[in-house]
Amino acid sequence: MKTPFRAVAVVGALAAASIAITGCTTTETGGEPAVEEISIAFVMGAESDPFFQAMKLGAEEEAAAQGVELIWQGDPANYSAETQIPIVDAVLAQQPDALVLIPTDPVALQASVDKAVAAGIVVANVDTRVEDLSDVLTFITGDNEDGGAKAADALAAKIGYEDGGSYEVVVGLTSPTATTNVGRLDGFTAQIEAEYPGIAIVDVAYSESNPEKAATNVNNWLTKYPGLDGIFAIDGTNASGAAAALEAKGLVGTVGLVGYDAYPDNVAKIESGIFTALIAQDPAEEARLAIRTIVEFIRNGSTSTPAEVVIPNVTLDANTSAADLAKYTYVAN
Amino acid sequence: MTDSSQAISVSSSPAASARKARAFDALTSQSSLLLGVLVILIIVFTILEPKFFSVATASNILTDWGSIVLIAVGQAFVIISGGIDLSVGAVIGLSGVVAAWTMANVLGLDQTVKGQDAWGGLLVGAAVSIGVGLLVGLINAFLINILKIVPFIATLSTMGAALGLSVVISQGAPIGSANDFALISSFSPQWNPFSPALIVVIVVVTILGLYLHKSRRGLYTYAIGSNAFAARAAGINVARHLTWVYALSGALAGLAGIYVYIRLGAGSPSSGTGRELDAIAAVVIGGVSLMGGIGRLSGVVIGALILFTVQSGLIMIGVEPDWKKVVVAVLIAAAVAAQVLRKSDGRS
Repeated sequence: MKTPFRAVAVVGALAAASIAITGCTTTETGGEPAVEEISIAFVMGAESDPFFQAMKLGAEEEAAAQGVELIWQGDPANYSAETQIPIVDAVLAQQPDALVLIPTDPVALQASVDKAVAAGIVVANVDTRVEDLSDVLTFITGDNEDGGAKAADALAAKIGYEDGGSYEVVVGLTSPTATTNVGRLDGFTAQIEAEYPGIAIVDVAYSESNPEKAATNVNNWLTKYPGLDGIFAIDGTNASGAAAALEAKGLVGTVGLVGYDAYPDNVAKIESGIFTALIAQDPAEEARLAIRTIVEFIRNGSTSTPAEVVIPNVTLDANTSAADLAKYTYVAN
Repeated sequence: MTDSSQAISVSSSPAASARKARAFDALTSQSSLLLGVLVILIIVFTILEPKFFSVATASNILTDWGSIVLIAVGQAFVIISGGIDLSVGAVIGLSGVVAAWTMANVLGLDQTVKGQDAWGGLLVGAAVSIGVGLLVGLINAFLINILKIVPFIATLSTMGAALGLSVVISQGAPIGSANDFALISSFSPQWNPFSPALIVVIVVVTILGLYLHKSRRGLYTYAIGSNAFAARAAGINVARHLTWVYALSGALAGLAGIYVYIRLGAGSPSSGTGRELDAIAAVVIGGVSLMGGIGRLSGVVIGALILFTVQSGLIMIGVEPDWKKVVVAVLIAAAVAAQVLRKSDGRS
C-alpha cells in the first residue's frame, strides 16, 4: 500500500509546486519614479503573450506621462485563474491606490476585485471583465463580438461563399472561459448564422496557450475534415500554431485562415498568403485609457470615461497599407 | 522465449515451472500490456471514427510524439536514478527561443529563408538549442550534487528561471526565422507517416535505450535509483553519474526545443508549457517507478504513444477537449495500479 500512496503524494505535490512556482516567479518591471503619491498596480494575463507586451508599453508610456508609479505584474506564461489570484493578493498587499486587472476568469477573480474595493482601492478592468462590474470604475475592451464578426466576413470572402453552398470551418480557442475567446466566438457564430448560413462550425478545441498544441488540433482536424474550408484561430497562439500546421501540410492558400492578434511574426505571414486576414486589437490604447481614467478619477473625484468602453478592432489583410500594418503590430519595448 | 506447450507438458520439474513463469512474464510484461492497451485504443477509436485508422492520423500522432518522447526518455533516466526533472517543459521554450534569436539576430535569417537554404541556419540553431538544454541540465546537477538541493526543488527553480528568461529574450512574442517544414512533414501523406525529424528522434531514442539497458553505466542508473548508498559503497561515483543523467535530460529537452521550433517555424516561449507533466505521465504510464530503480525505455516510448493516441483519438471522435485530461488521469492511475498489482503477485 505504501508505494501507490507515495506516488500519488509526489504527483500531488508536483501539481501544487508547479502552481506555486508560476505564482512566485513573476517579473516586476516598469515602475516609473513617482512624482505624486499615486501608485497603480496592473495585473495582466500572461507575460509571454505579445498582446500584453504591447499593453505594457502603452501602460508605461501613460504612467510616465501622468507621473504615477506603475506596478506591472502577472504570470510569466500561464493564462489561468489559479496562478493569477495569488499574484493579485500579493499586489494588494502592497496597498496601491488603484488596480487595473485583466481577470483570467470572470467568476474566479470576482472575490479579488471585491477585496480590493473593500480596501478602498480603485479598480478598472481591461480586455476581460469580472461578472459584477458595479464596483468597477471602468471596463475597457476591444470589441470582441465585432472582431469575431469581422473574422467571419474575412473567412467567407476567402472561401468564396455563395448562397446554397455548404462549407466547413473550425475554431481554435485557448480556453473555454476567457471572456475574450467567448466574445469572439459569439460574434463569429452570430455573423455566420445571420449572413452565411451555408457555413457550418464543425469543431472547436483548446490550445491551453501552447502553440504546439494548437498545431496538433489543426493537424487532427485536417485529417478528420479532408474538405475543410477555413480556420478561425481565435488568438495569437492559435494563429501561430494553425499557420505552422498548414505550412507543414502544404495547405497554405487551400484552407482559409483568419487569425487574431497582430504578433509581428504573424503580420509578416499576411504578405506570404498564409493568413487570409488578421484581426487586430489596440492593447496599448486600452492600457493608456485605463491609466488616464484612474488618474483623472483619483485627482478630480470623477472621470469622463464611461463605465464601459469598446475600442474597435481592425482587419489586417493583403490590402492593408504598410503604414497601418506597422501601426497595429504588437511591439514590445 | 519459452514454448508454452512444452512447459506445460513437463510442468512437474522446477526448471519447467521457471520457464512457464518466464513465459507468463513475457505475456504480462509492462510493454506487452501497454501494446495491448494501444491496440485496443486504436480499435475503439477506429470503430467510433473510421478516418482515425489512416496514415494521416499516424503522422499526426507521431509528430506530437516526437518532441515528448525525447523529454520523456530524459525524464525516465532521471526518475530511474531516483530523481525528477521539472525543468524540461520550460527548457523546450527557452532553447527554441534562444535558437530562433540566434538564427534571426546573429545569422540574420528571417522567415523568408525556406527549404534547403535554411539547413545551415537550422544546424546552428540545433547546436544552440541542445547547448542551452545541456547548460540547464548542468545547472540542475550543480544544484543537486553540490548545493544538495532535492531534485524536485532544484528543477522547479530552473523551470521558473527558464520560463522567465525565455519571455525576457523573446519579449513574449514568437521569434520567426529560417525553417524547412519538409523536415517535419511525413515522407508520403498516403504511405509513410515518418518525417526526417522523426527519424532523428527514433535513432536518438534507440541509442539511449541500448545504453540504458545494455551498458554497465546504464546499469549504474538503476543501482543509484534503487539505493544510492549501496551504489556508492559498490564504488559507483554517484555524483558524476547523476551529473550525466541531468545533463542528458537537459540536452534532450534542448533537442526537443529545436524539434518544436522546426514544427512551428518560430521559437515561442510558451511552446513547452505544461510539457513536463506530459513527460512524467508518459514515464509513469510506461511503467517506470517514481521511487526509482525500476523501468524500461520501451515502456516509456509506448507510454508516450498512448498519450498522443488518446489525444488525437478524442479530437477525431469529437469528445469535449476537457475529457482528455480525465482520460489521461485514469490512464496514469491504472498504470500505477498495474505496477503495484504485478509486484504483489511476486513478479516484477
